[in-house]
Amino acid sequence: MPDGHIAVAGLTKHYKSVRAVDGLSFEVEPGRVTGFLGPNGAGKTTTLRMLLNLVRPTAGIATIGGVRYADLPDPVRTVGAVLEASAAHKGRTARNHLRIICRAAGLPDRRADEVLDIVGLSTAANRKFKGYSLGMKQRLGIAAALIGDPRVLILDEPANGLDPEGIRWMRQLLQSLAAEGRTVLVSSHLLSEMEILAEDIIIVAAGKLVTQGPVRKVIASLGGSGRTLVRTPDPAALTAALGEGATVSPGPDGDLWVTGVDAVGVGEAAHRAGVVLHQLTSESPDLEGVFLELTKGKADIR
Amino acid sequence: MTAPTTVTTASRRPRKRLISAELLKIRTTSTWWLFGIGMVLVTLLALGLNMLVTHFQLDPPLDQIAAEQQAQVIADSEAAHTTAGLIKIAANLLTSGQYLGVLFAMIIGTLVITNEYFHQTATATFMATPHRTAVVLAKLVAAGVFGGLFWLISTLINLVGTPLFLAAEGVEIHLTDWEVIQAVLLNLLAFVMWTIFGLGLGTLIRSQIGAVIIGIVVYLASDLLLSILVPLIHNWIGQDWVLNLRVLAPATASTIMITPGEAFPDAPPQWSGFVMMIAYVLVLGGLGILLTRRRDIS
Repeated sequence: MPDGHIAVAGLTKHYKSVRAVDGLSFEVEPGRVTGFLGPNGAGKTTTLRMLLNLVRPTAGIATIGGVRYADLPDPVRTVGAVLEASAAHKGRTARNHLRIICRAAGLPDRRADEVLDIVGLSTAANRKFKGYSLGMKQRLGIAAALIGDPRVLILDEPANGLDPEGIRWMRQLLQSLAAEGRTVLVSSHLLSEMEILAEDIIIVAAGKLVTQGPVRKVIASLGGSGRTLVRTPDPAALTAALGEGATVSPGPDGDLWVTGVDAVGVGEAAHRAGVVLHQLTSESPDLEGVFLELTKGKADIR
Repeated sequence: MTAPTTVTTASRRPRKRLISAELLKIRTTSTWWLFGIGMVLVTLLALGLNMLVTHFQLDPPLDQIAAEQQAQVIADSEAAHTTAGLIKIAANLLTSGQYLGVLFAMIIGTLVITNEYFHQTATATFMATPHRTAVVLAKLVAAGVFGGLFWLISTLINLVGTPLFLAAEGVEIHLTDWEVIQAVLLNLLAFVMWTIFGLGLGTLIRSQIGAVIIGIVVYLASDLLLSILVPLIHNWIGQDWVLNLRVLAPATASTIMITPGEAFPDAPPQWSGFVMMIAYVLVLGGLGILLTRRRDIS
């Protein structure tokens, strides 16, 4: 049985004049949630489809556990994927939809009921797919992905159409699956979502890799550690106390913006120097802004 | 999530698994039984029409026929009363509903592939089985099974109606002659071949409604067009081989294939219908596999 390590090397897809994916390489490790991030049209979906042997690459190779998807001896029990929310015959019930996958994968029919239970759709099992809400469709997609108890999970924009409750449910599910040692690769165009969900992120734009690594490290490289707003009756003394590592600039109403030192560092320096503070507020970096800046001009309609 | 023990003990026969999955796909939507009802109606209509025509052929109302045509009508009636004539009548009655019935077979063949694109289930299907040739072959088998079911529905109705009618007409009943059995079995083959024809069409034209409409139009129009054009060309250049061109229309080919003797006046020989159908099945089935293997699923 192949392990859950995903490797993408030089993956390229050309559609006539468009380079949807352009020499993309990255790796995804088991046991953690990896976010696959990029603006719409960055080539995320095409990349995932090439990984799953649905789209034929122009060049390059993608493997799961060192094996191409097409060569996996038991794909359903190795990889589970959710690619479109609305992917079932409208006149078919959810249970029958899943039973068909069971048949093709050689799993017993009752596995369909087990996964329906996991995603909380048991009561709607015999309802036809056309009566499903967007959130229920997403849950059904996840049920289908879990059917073979796979060690690798691949999800394309799974939060689309989910309400806040559903998003939280999804986050907890994916994190618990990763904690069991599975590989979880989730695409999204929202950095804020990935900040909460993922441990590693891969950022792509215009079919190319922008950056990849642990989420905190990438965020630090994108926008630093944020800044701190300080109100003090003695700005000069505080500036002196902070020393060379910090940059101090004037803020609103005579307050100070401090970067390079976090709120803890500012408080400790003020305490050592005996400077009085009236306010100390840390502000997170504007990650979406930085992310947009980073991928700007690459997200055109292509 | 705990891993159920059942997941590790799966059946190891991928081909059988795939066919079972494809059969379940057809069974879990309403198309097949709606088509089954359509098959009953089409068969009843065709059988009734065939009975009417046969009745007047066996027992022509001579008092209503013009004097100059009477000799021909009497000769036809006498030919119909011979053993060969009665065998042909029995074969014709037992295959009633073929002309429109194979359309259901063709459409179910088209739907097994276009449904995958229309409902975006191709992704799940080819993820579960990355070996696309195996998927198409399983679809061919599953659609063929339902083509066979439609044949069975039609044949059962004909098997009840035909002996009753022939007994009422007071003629010998030839149901067990080899030519009759052969016609009924070739009819089964035609139903199965039309599912393959439809499946190939569905891979060529991925649009569900487009493929179904083009299939029906090609089926009906090619037959009609050649039945008008071929005699015209024949009159014009005066060569008899031109008459055989009618077999090029797929609907005509399958009629010729299942009819013992001449399917219609100046019809091409029975074997040519068979060869033509084989050619269509190989070309369209082959294209279906080839295109499905190469196609990006997005």
